[in-house]
Amino acid sequence: MLSADFVIATAVGYVGLLFVLAYFGDRRARSSKRSFLHSPTVYTLSISVYCTSWTFYGAVGNAARSGLEFLTIYLGPTLVFVGWWFLLRRLVRISHDQRITSVADLLSSRFGKSNRLAVLITCIAVIGIAPYIALQLKAVTSSIQTIAGASEFGQGSLRGIDDVGLAFGIAAGMALFTILFGTRHVDAKEQHHGVVAAIAFEAVVKLAALLAVGIFVVWVGGGFEQIFSRATEVGVTIDAEGTFDSRWFTTLGLSVAAIVCLPRQFQVTVVENSDESHLRVASWAFPAYMLLMSLFILPIAVFGLTTLPASSNPDMFALTLPMAFNQDGLALFAFIGGFSSATSMIILESIALSIMVSNHIVMPLILRFGSGGGDGQGMTSLLLNARRFSIVLILSLGFFYFFFTRDSDALAPIGLISFTAIAQFFPAVIAAIFWRDASLKAATAAIATGFVFWVWCSFLPSFRSVSPDVALLLANGPWGIEWLRPEAMFGLVGMDPLAHAAFWSLSANVLILVVGSLLTSQSALERLQASVFVDVFRRGASARGNFVLGSATANDLYFVAERVLGERRAAALFEAEAADRGVEPDMLEPSPDFIGRLERELAGSIGAASAHVMLSKVVSGIDVSLEEMMQMAGETQQVIQYSQELERTSAELRSTARKLEDANTQLKELDSQKDEFLSQVSHEVRTPMTSIRSFSEILLDPAGIDEPQRQHFVSTIHQESLRLTRLLDEILDLSALERGERPWTNVAVDAEAALDRALTVCDALLRQRGMRVEFAGRARRTMVTGDADRLCQVFINLISNAVKYNDAERPLLRIATSVRGGVHTVDFADNGPGIARNDRKIIFEKFSRGQQGASAQAGAGLGLAISRQIVSRMNGTLDLAPSALPGACFRVRLKVAR
Amino acid sequence: MPKLSAWCANFWAKMVAPSKLRASMLVLTVLGALLMLPPLVYVFDQTVTHFGIPQIVFYLFAVWLLMIIGTALLARAMGKQPDAGEGDT
Repeated sequence: MLSADFVIATAVGYVGLLFVLAYFGDRRARSSKRSFLHSPTVYTLSISVYCTSWTFYGAVGNAARSGLEFLTIYLGPTLVFVGWWFLLRRLVRISHDQRITSVADLLSSRFGKSNRLAVLITCIAVIGIAPYIALQLKAVTSSIQTIAGASEFGQGSLRGIDDVGLAFGIAAGMALFTILFGTRHVDAKEQHHGVVAAIAFEAVVKLAALLAVGIFVVWVGGGFEQIFSRATEVGVTIDAEGTFDSRWFTTLGLSVAAIVCLPRQFQVTVVENSDESHLRVASWAFPAYMLLMSLFILPIAVFGLTTLPASSNPDMFALTLPMAFNQDGLALFAFIGGFSSATSMIILESIALSIMVSNHIVMPLILRFGSGGGDGQGMTSLLLNARRFSIVLILSLGFFYFFFTRDSDALAPIGLISFTAIAQFFPAVIAAIFWRDASLKAATAAIATGFVFWVWCSFLPSFRSVSPDVALLLANGPWGIEWLRPEAMFGLVGMDPLAHAAFWSLSANVLILVVGSLLTSQSALERLQASVFVDVFRRGASARGNFVLGSATANDLYFVAERVLGERRAAALFEAEAADRGVEPDMLEPSPDFIGRLERELAGSIGAASAHVMLSKVVSGIDVSLEEMMQMAGETQQVIQYSQELERTSAELRSTARKLEDANTQLKELDSQKDEFLSQVSHEVRTPMTSIRSFSEILLDPAGIDEPQRQHFVSTIHQESLRLTRLLDEILDLSALERGERPWTNVAVDAEAALDRALTVCDALLRQRGMRVEFAGRARRTMVTGDADRLCQVFINLISNAVKYNDAERPLLRIATSVRGGVHTVDFADNGPGIARNDRKIIFEKFSRGQQGASAQAGAGLGLAISRQIVSRMNGTLDLAPSALPGACFRVRLKVAR
Repeated sequence: MPKLSAWCANFWAKMVAPSKLRASMLVLTVLGALLMLPPLVYVFDQTVTHFGIPQIVFYLFAVWLLMIIGTALLARAMGKQPDAGEGDT
C-alpha cells in the first residue's frame, strides 16, 4: 500500500523534473537549430498530448461501459493525419505565412482581421474547455484517492480532505506550474520549445506506463484468448450490433474536429511546427502512437470487468488492476503515467488559451484605452501578466465545473461535451481555407448559434445531478414547452444526447455559415484575406497580402517593434533588413514590403488584428491601407466623373455659342434686309409724293395757269395718289403674305375659270394696249389646290406685266395651259423685249422693275414678288420658262387636287 | 531473391508522379473512412475470434494498421520528390 504522502511527493518530484526539462530544452532549442528538439520525433510526441487522462483512465472506463466506442476518439484523428496533405498541410502553410498564433487568430485573420470574431471564439473556447480541464482534475483526484487507498495508513496528510479540496489543491498547483512553465517570455512566433520538450517527454512516459499495464494484464490474464473467452463466460461481450450507431458517427466526427480545433492541438500541430516535412512524418507516426496507446485498453477493461468486483470504478482499472495483484511499483508507474497525461493537457491547454485571451481580448483593450506601458518592456510584461491571469481564470473555471458536476461518475462523457463545443469552430475553419466566399457575418452568426445550441443541449444538461431546476428543465422544457427540451429539441425524442446536441448545433452552424455567406457581402479586407488563404499554394513568395505604404520613419517603426518584440528581436530585424539593402541601420527607409513583414512579426506576438491596428496607428502620413487605397480609388473615380461632366458641359456651351453666332449673323442679315426694304419703300413713296406736292404747290397759285393745265395737274395728282395707294396696298399685302397673316386654306378651285376671270378683268387693259391674246392650248376644267381669288390675282399680275413691258409694234400674248402628271401648267409668253439673263433671278425680288419697255404705268415692282409668294403658298411654282416667242415666258405650276 | 531486392530498390528509387501520390493519399483516406463506418464495417462482424480476439476488434485494428503503413509508404515516396511540397491540392 502506498501512502498518499509518498504519492504526492512522487508527483511533485515528477513535475519538478518536467520543469528542469523545459528549462534546458528551451535553452538548447534556442542555441541550436539542428538539435534533437527540432526533430519530427519531438513534433509527433508533442502532438500526442491529444491523449490525456481521458485516454489513460476514461477510455478504459468507456470500453468497459460501452464497448468499442472509445476507438472513434483515435480513429477520427487518424483519418485527419492520413489525409494530412489536404487539410493539415494547408493549415500549416497558411499559419506560417500569416504568423497565426491560435485558432481564433486563424479565423479572425481570414475573416477580415476581425477582432470581434476572435473575441467570440476565445470566449467559447474558454467556456468549452472548462469541462475538459475538470475531467483532468477529476481523473487526478480519483487516481490519488484510489492509489492512496481507503486505509487510515494510506491517507496520510490527505486525512480529512475530501475530493473537492484535493481537486482545488491540484488545480492551484497546476496553475502555478503552468505560469512558471509557459509565461516566462513572449516568443516571436509563439513557440514554446521548452514546453514542447517537456510534453514530448510526458508522451513517452504515459505510453510506457499504459503499455506496461497492458502487457502486465495480458500476461497475468494468460493471453488475449484467455481474457476474452473468460469474459464471454462471465457474460461480458462486445456488442458490435449496437456499437455502430449514431454515436459512432458522432464521436468520429467530433474527434476529427477536435484534433484540428482544440487550442492545444492547434498549438502543437500548427503553431509549433517549424518544418513542413515534420508533418509528413507525423502523418503516420501519430496514428501509430495512438494505436499503441489503445492496443491494450480493451483487454484491460475486459479483464477488469471479469476480475475486479462490480462496484469498482472502471475508469481506474489501470491503477486498480496492478494494485489488486500487489504490483505497487507498477501501480505507481501507472499513476505517474496518468498524472503525466493530465498535466501535459492542462499546461498546454492553459497556455494556448492564455495566448488567445491576451492577444484577442487584452491587447485590443490596451490599444483602445491606453498607451500600454511607457517603455520598451511595457508591452511584453503586460502581455505576460495578462496570460498569467488567464491561466488562473481558466483553471478556476475548470475547478468550478468539476465542483458542480462532481456527482457524475464517468470521465469520457465530460470530454465529449468539450469536443462538441470546440467542434463549432470546425465548419468555419474548413470554410476559411477552402471557400473564398465565406463571409465574416456568416461565420460569426454560425459559430454563435452553434454555441447557443451547445449550451442548451449539451452544457446545461451536464448539471442535471446538481441542480433540481436543470433536471426539471430537462424533463419538461422551458416554461413547459416540450419541443424545446434540451435533450429532445423539435421533437427528436429518444436520440442519444450527445448525437442530439452535436446534430442540432453543427447543423445550425453549417447551415447559417453556408446560407449566410451566400447572402452577405464581404469587405475589401475580407476578400483580400480570403484570396491569401485559399490561394496559399498558388501564390509565389511575393504576394503576401499587405499593402501598408508608409511615410513612417524607421524610428517610429522601431519604437513599436521594440515595445512588442523586445529590444533584441527588434534590433535583429532592423539590422537584417538594413544589411539586405546595403545601408546603415539608421539610414533605413522602410519599404512597404518591410512594413508588411514587420506586421507579420508583430502578429506572431499579439495576433493579426492587433498588429494591424497598431501599425496603422503608427504609420501615418501617406498611410495607405487597403481600405484607404479603395477609398482613394473611389475618389479618383469621382474626380474622373466630375471632369467628364465638365467636358460635356463645356462642349454643350460651345455648340450653344455657335448656334448663337449663327442666329446673330442671320439677324444681322435680316436687319440689313429690313434697312434695304425701308430705304426702297421710302424711295417708292417719295416719288409720287414729290409729284403730288409739286403739282399741289403750283395749283395753290391760281394765277399763271390756265384751265386745261389745271385740269391736267389735278388728274396727275389723282393718278399719283392712286399709285401711292396701290403701292402701299401691295406692300401691306406682301408683308402680310410673308408673315403668314391673312392665311387662306387651299381648297380645290378651278384653274381655268380663274384664268378666264383674269382675262375678263384685264380685257380693258388689253384692248387699250391693242394686245392680241392667243391660246396655244387649253386644258379642260381642272381642279387645283389653292385659293380662287388669289390665283386670279396672280394671273392678273402676269397678264398686266405682259402688257406693261411689251413695246413691240404688234404686241402678242400667248397663253397655254396643260395638265400632265398631276401638275397643271399655265404659260404666259409674250413677244416683248424679254428678260436679260442677269435679271432672271432678280425680277422676283421686291422693288425690281424691268428696265426695258417700262411704261409710265409701271408699278412698284412688287407684283412678281407677291405672285411668287402666293403661288408657293399654294404649293406651286412661278418661274421663267423657255419660249418660242422672243419675249419672256412665265410659267405657273400648281398641283392638281385629288 | 536478387530480382525482388532489385524491384524493391527500384520501387524506392523511381519518382512517382506527385499527382498520383496525392490521389493515392485521397484514396487511402476515403477508403479508410468507409471501412470503419457502416455498412462496410459490418462485413467482418461475425462472432469469430482470431488469436482469441473478437473479429470486429481485430478488423478495426487491422484497418487502422494498414492505414498507418500506407501513409508511411506514401509519405516516404513523397519525401523523394524535391518539389512535392509546392503542389496544389
